[in-house]
Amino acid sequence: MSMSDKDQADGGLDVFFEAARGHAPIPSPDLLARVFADAETTQQAGPSTAPARVSATPDGLAARLYRLLGGWPAMAGLATAALTGIWIGTALPEGLIGTAEAAYLVDITPEMAFDLAGGDF
Amino acid sequence: MPFDAHDDVPDEALLVLFANGDSAAARVLALRLTPRVMAHAYRLLGNRAEAEDVAQEAMLRLWKQAGDWRHGEAKVTTWLYRVVANLCIDRQRRARGGSVTLDAIPEPADGRASAVEEMQEHARAEALQTALNDLPERQRQAVVLRHIEGLANPEIAGIMEITVEAVESLTSRGKRALSAALAGRQEELGYVDER
Repeated sequence: MSMSDKDQADGGLDVFFEAARGHAPIPSPDLLARVFADAETTQQAGPSTAPARVSATPDGLAARLYRLLGGWPAMAGLATAALTGIWIGTALPEGLIGTAEAAYLVDITPEMAFDLAGGDF
Repeated sequence: MPFDAHDDVPDEALLVLFANGDSAAARVLALRLTPRVMAHAYRLLGNRAEAEDVAQEAMLRLWKQAGDWRHGEAKVTTWLYRVVANLCIDRQRRARGGSVTLDAIPEPADGRASAVEEMQEHARAEALQTALNDLPERQRQAVVLRHIEGLANPEIAGIMEITVEAVESLTSRGKRALSAALAGRQEELGYVDER
């Protein structure tokens, strides 16, 4: 092998870099076994047992609320419910229930509202 | 899902599968990423045993991070390169003054080239590693990421949390130092007279 013009322009380092790439150390079977074992242990432990991440700044109210509600799965559910509500509110056909009827529906079964709230009002 | 069905799946998607308990995803990620992590740690540390410990620790951090992975913020490999560098720097600072062993360069692969060429390639890799070990940490990291791992400067800037201009400066200074360190060994390493 000889130095190309590019090698010479780069101080001849390319042949060294190429050699290093060709001689990358290969993980031992023992290392791979340890990595597999760590992966299995982490999966079996589940996300709740993973150590909390160190944060450089104190958590804000939003972050604490986010965790309190159960993280992204709960937030996804809340977002879906909110979007569904918006859709119902905006997309309900006007011809199906008129404004007057809709207002009437609020009062037509007040005991159901109490039942839904689960209280002894 | 079958083991080989994951081969074309991106790292980030595999991480989601891992977080959902998919053991095949764990194996594919481990086989795909551990060699890169291990090689990078070795190039920063110059010691195989320590590089293996760092690789295991970096992969463990990835497993633990899987459930909280923020998609779109960083590539898995970018995140791992940063973790590896931080782990290596921590070790080097703890063991400052300790010697670096170079007994761990892997043996050449059989049949890839002639024995003489393989010995020369091996010697060049070893000589480069010796010179890399003498570079300041940040220069070494930048040179390895750019010229051995083959990453683009913007990605290196993201890993090292510096500007692209700073990356260029580090690699430039690092290469000058490497050239100076290796200049006296060109003939010995057989790429001048070998035509």
